[in-house]
Amino acid sequence: MVKISQDFAPPFKLIAPFFIVGSLFYFFSSFYLFFFDATMLSFAEPKMLAFVHLFLLGFVMMIIFGAMAQLVPVVLEVGHFGVELFYAIWPLLLIGSLLMVFGFLYSPALLPYGGVVVLISMMIFVGEIFLTMFKVEKLTLVMSSVLISNTFLFFGIIFGLLMALAYAGTLSFDINVLLKAHVYSVIGGYIVITIMGLSIVLVPMFTLSHSFSLKPLEIGMTLMSVAVVFVIISSLFNISWLAYLAYAMAFVAMISYFYLIYVIYKTRPRKENDVYALSLMFSYSAMLFVLVIGALYFLVGKESYLLAAAWLLFFGFFAFLITGHIYKIIPFLVWFEKFSPLVGKQKVPMLADMVPYKSSQAQLIYSATGVLLVTAAILLGSNLLMGAGASFLVIGSLAFVRSVFYMINFK
Amino acid sequence: MAMYTKEELFKAISTVIDPEVGFNLVEMGLIYDASSDDEGNVKVTMTLSTKACPLHQMILQWVKEAVEKLPNVKDVDVEVVWEPEWNISMADDNVKKALGAL
Repeated sequence: MVKISQDFAPPFKLIAPFFIVGSLFYFFSSFYLFFFDATMLSFAEPKMLAFVHLFLLGFVMMIIFGAMAQLVPVVLEVGHFGVELFYAIWPLLLIGSLLMVFGFLYSPALLPYGGVVVLISMMIFVGEIFLTMFKVEKLTLVMSSVLISNTFLFFGIIFGLLMALAYAGTLSFDINVLLKAHVYSVIGGYIVITIMGLSIVLVPMFTLSHSFSLKPLEIGMTLMSVAVVFVIISSLFNISWLAYLAYAMAFVAMISYFYLIYVIYKTRPRKENDVYALSLMFSYSAMLFVLVIGALYFLVGKESYLLAAAWLLFFGFFAFLITGHIYKIIPFLVWFEKFSPLVGKQKVPMLADMVPYKSSQAQLIYSATGVLLVTAAILLGSNLLMGAGASFLVIGSLAFVRSVFYMINFK
Repeated sequence: MAMYTKEELFKAISTVIDPEVGFNLVEMGLIYDASSDDEGNVKVTMTLSTKACPLHQMILQWVKEAVEKLPNVKDVDVEVVWEPEWNISMADDNVKKALGAL
C-alpha cells in the first residue's frame, strides 16, 4: 500500500486567521483604489508602493501562507516539521505589512521596522518549509517547485529589507539597483512558481483531470527560474541585454504554463461551471492579457501599458486564482473539522453546500467587472472609470469577506 | 466459501460518499475489487481519484467501517492501488452525466 501524507488538515483555528486577515486586506486594497488619480499613476510614487505592499503582503502572501499550512503535506506527502509555527507567522506578517504600508505613506523611518518584522515572519515560514522538505525522500517536479520558490522568497525578502533600509536612509545605495531583483524574486520566483507547482496538483484534483504530460510545467518552471536569476544578475551588474533575455524567457515560461492549464481545462471530465471554475477561467484569461499588454509595453514603451499589465497580474490573475481556491480550501477545512467525525452517524453536508451561492457569485461578477474597468481606467487615464472600477471592486471584495465568514461559520 | 459476495460488499461500501463530488465510491468507480473468506476476513482493493487526496486516510477508514457493519465480519483490509490509474471512464453513467463528462 502506498502511504500518503498523514497530517493533511492542521487545526482550522491555526489557518482561519490567515484567511480572515487576507480577505480583509483584499477589501482594503480595493478601497484604496479610490485614492488614486488615474491621470498621474506611476510605479515610483510612495502611494503606489504602499498599495502594492498592502495587496501583495496583506492579501496574496497572507492567503498563500495560510493555504500552504494545509497544502504542504498534500504536495510534499510528509507531515509538517512544526505546523504550530504558523501561529506566529500571521500576526508578524500583519504587523509588518501595516508598518510597511504606513511607512511608505507617512514615515519612511517605519520601513526598516516593517521590513524586519516581515523578514522574521517569512524566515519562519521559509525555515519551516525547508525543514519539512528534509523529510522528503524523493523530489517530484511539484516538490521541486516548493523548494525553488521558497529559495527565491528567501533572497527576495533579503533584497527587500536592504531596500527598506536604504529607503529610510539607514543604508546608502541606489534602491533601483535592487528593485528588479526584489520584484522578480518575490513575484516571478515565489508567487508565480508557487502557483505553477500548486495549481498542477489542485486544478486536476478539483476537475478530475488525468493523463496529461508535465513537460510544459517543467519547461515553464525552468525558464521562469532562470529568468529570475538572470534579472537578479542583470540588476546587480547592470547588464541590460541579460534583462531583456530574462523577460523573453519569463514570457515563454508563462505561455508554456498556460498551455498545460489549457490542456487540463479541455480534457477535464468535471465540466460544471461553479464559482471555482469561473474564477479560474477569469484568472487565466487575465494572465493571457498580461502577456499581450506586457508585450505591447516592450514594443511601444508606454508606462500605462506596464501599469495595466501589473494591475491585471495582481487583481486579475493572482486575486481570482486565490479567491477561487478559497471556495475549495475553506469548505474542506471546516468540513474536515466539524463534519468528518459525523460521517456514518448522521447526514453531513457536501463541500459544495458550504459555499454561499449569492455572495460568491456577487464577488465573481462585481470583482471581474471592477478589474476590467480599472484596466480601462489605467489605459485611458480616466478617473471616472477608476472610481467606477473601485466601486465594483469594493462591493466584490465585501461579498468575498462575507463568503469567507459564511464558510468559516457554517453549521 | 465466501461469507459475502462481491456485490454485497460493494453495496455496503456504496454508503461511503466522496464529499467533494457528492457521489459514492462505488459509482465513482474507485472500488476495484472486494472479497471475503468464510471466516469473515474481507479484502477491499480500491483507488482514489488523485494521489494528493487530502481525505486519503479518512476515506479508507470510512470504507473499513462501512464493511465492518456487515454481520460477522472479523477483519477488513483496505488496499489502495494506483494501477490502473482511475479515470472518469470507470465511473457510472449517472456520475459522468452529472459532471458533464457524458
